[in-house]
Amino acid sequence: MTPIRVLIAKPGLDGHDRGAKVVSRALRDAGMEVIYTGLRQSPEQIVLAAIQEDVDIVGLSCLSGAHNSLFPKVVEGLRAKGAEDIVVFGGGVIPDADIPGLLAAGIEAVFTPGTSLEEIVSWVRKRVQKNHE
Amino acid sequence: MSDELRQLAKAISKVENLDFQALADAATLPLDSAAVHVIGVTGPPGGGKSTLCNQLIKELAVHHRVAALLVDPSSPFSGGAILGDRIRMQALVSNPNVYIRSLSNRGNVGGVASSLVSILRLLMHNGFQYIVIETVGAGQSEVKIASIADTTLVVSVPNLGDDIQAFKSGILEIADILIINKADLPGADSLYSALRESAQNPRLGWTPPLCQTVATEGLGISALLEEIHRHGHWLRQEGRLLEKRKRAAKFEVLELSRMLLQKHLDSVPAEVLARNLNRRGINLLQKLDKIYDELLNTFSEV
Ligand code: B12
Ligand SMILES: Nc1nc2c(ncn2[C@@H]2O[C@H](COP(=O)(O)OP(=O)(O)OP(=O)(O)O)[C@@H](O)[C@H]2O)c(=O)[nH]1
Ligand SMILES: [Mg+2]
Repeated sequence: MTPIRVLIAKPGLDGHDRGAKVVSRALRDAGMEVIYTGLRQSPEQIVLAAIQEDVDIVGLSCLSGAHNSLFPKVVEGLRAKGAEDIVVFGGGVIPDADIPGLLAAGIEAVFTPGTSLEEIVSWVRKRVQKNHE
Repeated sequence: MSDELRQLAKAISKVENLDFQALADAATLPLDSAAVHVIGVTGPPGGGKSTLCNQLIKELAVHHRVAALLVDPSSPFSGGAILGDRIRMQALVSNPNVYIRSLSNRGNVGGVASSLVSILRLLMHNGFQYIVIETVGAGQSEVKIASIADTTLVVSVPNLGDDIQAFKSGILEIADILIINKADLPGADSLYSALRESAQNPRLGWTPPLCQTVATEGLGISALLEEIHRHGHWLRQEGRLLEKRKRAAKFEVLELSRMLLQKHLDSVPAEVLARNLNRRGINLLQKLDKIYDELLNTFSEV
């Protein structure tokens, strides 16, 4: 009954927003409440928005190549504010070689181009359910 | 500070999810503080409500703590929602005087979320001095905001076409302050003439002023703020503000009762409901009436 709340954010200067919008709509169509913050957010702004909106999970989208520096900062920011229960995941144009580093930094899943939307939706649902248990 | 904010955010979620304990706790918090000004902003989709809220909040937050509740519609198919009003308020997120919360209307008609008044109580309790509410893009029937806000701003824009008639016969009536936004666009002058007459109609001793703004440029905002404060001042005389808040508190009871009824009705297949009304007609209505009567007794014990 209680809808899952998701923040979809675009950190940094990257202007590619199609992926973020497509993923947002897929989550909406799966019954979730999706807060979309728009382009060019700093990691700090994303952390504050996630806390103010009391979301279960934050999805980061990056196609510019800056994921290695930006994604971990969001995880660190949430931890610094005692909000480590908010899950962070992400997607975009991200080389396979970078994924293990991101996972180790606390980004729990990374979805690259070509991933089906069903796969993303079902991962989010399962991950948030696990947190609620 | 951020810890307190986190707790507030979580309390709002519980109320939104109609958690009985959270609703009951919220109901113990006062709604009558004259130190708080609740400002509602409504108007057609895309009229610039969020952009305008952004400008108002920026100014108000220079000296005060401001909370914003931004309501967007849920999808009738999935029940999910994309809440995008924040996009127009990016600069406010790191302002320590500002708290922004996006809300889905969760299928509630009328332009707002059904738990909105309970959320107002939480925000008042947390010391916010201004609370700005943006409704879903409104046409004729989304007038519930007037039962909740102290001051209702109705936004109109040039070139609504035939919608101007609907606008005039609908939400125009609830305006305490009427705004022509996008005053930079052609057609603003003829809209001004069209609305001037309606605006100058006094209603219960208050004549709604007509303001012109260009929200994207911040033009007309200080004049609008003056009118908002003037209305706030007027409300604080002769107990008018208290009357407004009493109405909001009644609205809260009404909305919560309605939500509970809806929850139960939703658990019965539509055709069963319809068949029962069809077969049992007057008996069913009389029984409903009796149940409501008993309900009222519960609520009116002194
Ligand atoms: C369309 C496009 C554009 C459009 C963007 C339109 C828009 N508003 O989005 C335009 C033409 C504006 C553009 C501009 C540029 N682009 Co471009 N662009 C592309 C292109 C061809 C497709 C991107 C796209 O929209 N795909 C469709 C969407 C649906 O897919 P997606 O975003 O990948 O999303 C999927 C997954 O990645 C994942 N996902 C994405 N985000 C998220 C978020 C979450 C939470 C999750 C779970 C999943 C997820 O799920 C989605 C579904 O599977 C890519 C190449 C490519 N094949 O990826 C280059 C590409 C991204 N662009 C590139 C570049 C370099 C640029 C420019 C710098 C070019 C220039 N020199 O001017 C500019 C920069 C613009 C800016 N301001 O940032 C490079 C980036 C290189 C890099 N990372 O090292 C790419 C990879 C092309 C290339 N091979 O060189 N671009
Ligand atoms: N020309 C002009 N455009 C404006 C003005 N105010 C807002 N806009 C633009 O109008 C569009 C919609 O603005 P929003 O603030 O999102 O409108 P809204 O009423 O909140 O929209 P919904 O919440 O979707 O109903 C944006 O592209 C704004 O930049 C204005 O005064 N003049
Ligand atoms: Mg809006």
